Amino acid sequence: MTTSTSYPVLQVEHLTMHYTTRKGVVKAVEDVSFSLNKGEALGLVGESGCGKTSVALTILRLLPENAQFLGGHVYFFRDGSDEAHVRRALGKPVKILLNGREHQGRLLEVNRAQLVLETQLNGRSQQIKLGRSDITHLGVDLTALSDEEMRPIRWKGISMIFQAAMNSLNPVYKVGDQLIEAIQTHMPLSLPEARERVAQLFQLVGLDRQLMDRYPHEYSGGMKQRAVIAMALACDPDIIIADEPTTALDVIVQDKILREMRQIQKKLNMSMIYISHDIAVIAEVADRVGVMYAGSLVEFGPSEPIFKSPIHPYTKALMSAFPSIKGEKVKLTALPGEPPDLIKPPSGCRFHPRCPYATEICEREVPQFIEHKPNQYAACWNPLT
Amino acid sequence: MARIWQVLTSGMSKYIIVRLLQIVLVLYLYMTLVFIILEAQPGDITDIYVGNPKITPEAREAIIKQLGLDKPLHERYLNYLKNFVTGHLGCSFKWGNIREVPDPVCREQRPTWDLIKERLPRTVLLFLTYTIISFYIGFFLGKLIAWRRGAIIEYFSTVVGVVLFTVFTPWFALLLVWIFAVNLGIVPIGGFINPDNWRVVERVGTVSRDMGVSLSNVVFNYILMWLGGLTLVWGVIYLVSQRFPYAWQRRVARWGSVCIGLLAMGAFFGGAWPGSADQAVIASETRFNFFLWQLEFPAGTIPLFPLALDFVQHMILPILTLTLISFAGTMLLMRNTMLETMREDYVMAAKAKGLPDQVVRDKHAARNALLPVVTSLIFAIAFSVDGGVFTETIFSWPGMGKLLLESAIEQDYPVAIGTLVFTGIFALVAHLIADILYAFLDPRIRYD
Ligand SMILES: Nc1ncnc2c1ncn2[C@@H]1O[C@H](COP(=O)(O)OP(=O)(O)OP(=O)(O)O)[C@@H](O)[C@H]1O
Ligand code: SF4
Ligand SMILES: [Mg+2]
Repeated sequence: MTTSTSYPVLQVEHLTMHYTTRKGVVKAVEDVSFSLNKGEALGLVGESGCGKTSVALTILRLLPENAQFLGGHVYFFRDGSDEAHVRRALGKPVKILLNGREHQGRLLEVNRAQLVLETQLNGRSQQIKLGRSDITHLGVDLTALSDEEMRPIRWKGISMIFQAAMNSLNPVYKVGDQLIEAIQTHMPLSLPEARERVAQLFQLVGLDRQLMDRYPHEYSGGMKQRAVIAMALACDPDIIIADEPTTALDVIVQDKILREMRQIQKKLNMSMIYISHDIAVIAEVADRVGVMYAGSLVEFGPSEPIFKSPIHPYTKALMSAFPSIKGEKVKLTALPGEPPDLIKPPSGCRFHPRCPYATEICEREVPQFIEHKPNQYAACWNPLT
Repeated sequence: MARIWQVLTSGMSKYIIVRLLQIVLVLYLYMTLVFIILEAQPGDITDIYVGNPKITPEAREAIIKQLGLDKPLHERYLNYLKNFVTGHLGCSFKWGNIREVPDPVCREQRPTWDLIKERLPRTVLLFLTYTIISFYIGFFLGKLIAWRRGAIIEYFSTVVGVVLFTVFTPWFALLLVWIFAVNLGIVPIGGFINPDNWRVVERVGTVSRDMGVSLSNVVFNYILMWLGGLTLVWGVIYLVSQRFPYAWQRRVARWGSVCIGLLAMGAFFGGAWPGSADQAVIASETRFNFFLWQLEFPAGTIPLFPLALDFVQHMILPILTLTLISFAGTMLLMRNTMLETMREDYVMAAKAKGLPDQVVRDKHAARNALLPVVTSLIFAIAFSVDGGVFTETIFSWPGMGKLLLESAIEQDYPVAIGTLVFTGIFALVAHLIADILYAFLDPRIRYD
């Protein structure tokens, strides 16, 4: 999925995660794969309850106790000159991009000159030695890290704007202090320096710097939203995951904040994953789009071709359910039928009970997630053209 | 500093003033209630003297006149309020004077205020210590068992806590006395001091030599002042630590308190404090033995450590009993509120920020879970008074509770009234402090 000009900062492969509940096992994430490139805005879209938040939480390893991680890899890429990153990767499954080739395996040894990688080839393991200075893209599998090793990745590597952003501010601490807390955990700054940084971040998101010494209950909804965005930016993360960053706001503020976020992201050349159930929002901000249905990714590719000529019938249905006038919210009920129960999802293609193009095979077998058009992937037996 | 100032100038000072006014009102109502209850008693105060054949009807009339019992009800009520406001709490019927220079009003009798002044600090210390210990244990265990669901410690402490919480309290207290004091003999059965330890101490100023208990009171108050000073210093250290970079805050607070604490403890316990007028000192050079080491004190100084140790020994059993009985309530409540706050989004956000597990637990989850627990503490204070009466009686701790019970039984009305009123004031002030603490903990309160 990589081209010569863009390289990935995150690769998600075959992610599967279920929740155990009293009623049964909720198959919230099934075999989800996608990649996120440097400086790119990726949109994840799908109906409520299709597992978008679950994907984000699985990546950051913030799952609740009843969640079961069942497999998959999340490769988080940094430069090979990042000493801490390399040390973290030692003994872990890694992915190395070198001269357009992908080396995958376990990192056995690191010294000043080279990295020793153990890879599997035709069922036999072999060792590859790679020159240290050549390695500019070293991806470590986050699912293999311990909690303590994961800690520096959180917020410094990947930060998140939570779905209930308003509630992610602790009511008993001043907002500024909550940003300073994150900054001082990950960056060697003194208190005055950290305060200055917070002031700059506040300015960036359009908040008065005086507000940093106020408590969350003194903020309006829009201000809280901006503060949470500033908080996500606090440690200069490589990736920001924005889970429905604006749904709690009214349409005008929503639009404004979205545009500003997009500007900041471009300015700082950050990679971003926007999660929304609102395809109009995704269309506005995303360079590439992943469409989720019932826990799986059904279509993935650059946003323009996807919106112009979708391959998957669900993507098409999603688009026709939303009028193109952005901002205007229409419930997805325009799509006939109910989103499936994730405890007992339909057999074969999970979309088949609602799909107008369904054929007999759709009911029996799960369609492969393959490239139908250049860079445009989908899982469907009867792709639209 | 800036923080204190900001808090004072924001809603906080207003909050405290409003609370103070409320408390004055409640106190007035409470005092009226005390008056009514005493008036509603059958008989009158002079009945105590009826059985005494030495008192003639004429003398009785004189007493009635002297006590103002011939005046109409409303006049007596106003008198009662006026006396309280001007600080005249009357003279005890039962307690004789212990000073060399008797009180000009009470003469051969002991003034009520004198008694209360002596008893109140003891009760305050006992209850403050036990409240802090049991609250902290409950808070700490509740926090842990919520954070690590299903661990062995959860089942163990829940079962033990619930059993202790529901046990019949006087029986349990006597059981502890029987085990620790009678059978094992490691702590005294009861009381406040061991007079043997006080033989060497002599009076300076107005406290008389033969009254060991009163003498001990002087030292006791001295020690209380020390504890208060230490608390203040600790508060300053805490505020200072907040100015440091985040990663250092805990270390600065911890080591700062340890250092200053050690210094203060050393000065306090090892030091021979020069005595001055109105203090108790030792008459001649004295050695005290403590387990393996010996401390020497020159004449004319106050050996605070040995004397403080005497108090501490007597406090162990009552505090142990009260703590065991009451920590479970805090623990179970803390566990429940902690489980709730752990589901909050800001706790998830704190985890996502990559904060250490302990910081997420303590600074974010437990800090918020603390709020309802402090509320429950505020309510518990009101009920701790009756607990005080029984605890002090069982352990013969000569505090307000015991004084209240004794004076009520012996119909020592001035003391009974004074004790009741001051117990009420004590509860109200404790309530106020807890309220202020709560407002400090929860910024949302201050702005209403
Ligand atoms: N802690 C949990 N325990 C059990 N089931 C859960 C839990 N969290 C989410 N689910 C279920 O998993 C599925 C996916 O949830 P998720 O929150 O990831 O969806 P979403 O796409 O983010 O939806 P929304 O747009 O409403 O945020 C839903 O069916 C939800 O009911
Ligand atoms: S696989 Fe079949 S049911 Fe599924 S989307 Fe394609 S056509 Fe529809
Ligand atoms: Mg969601």
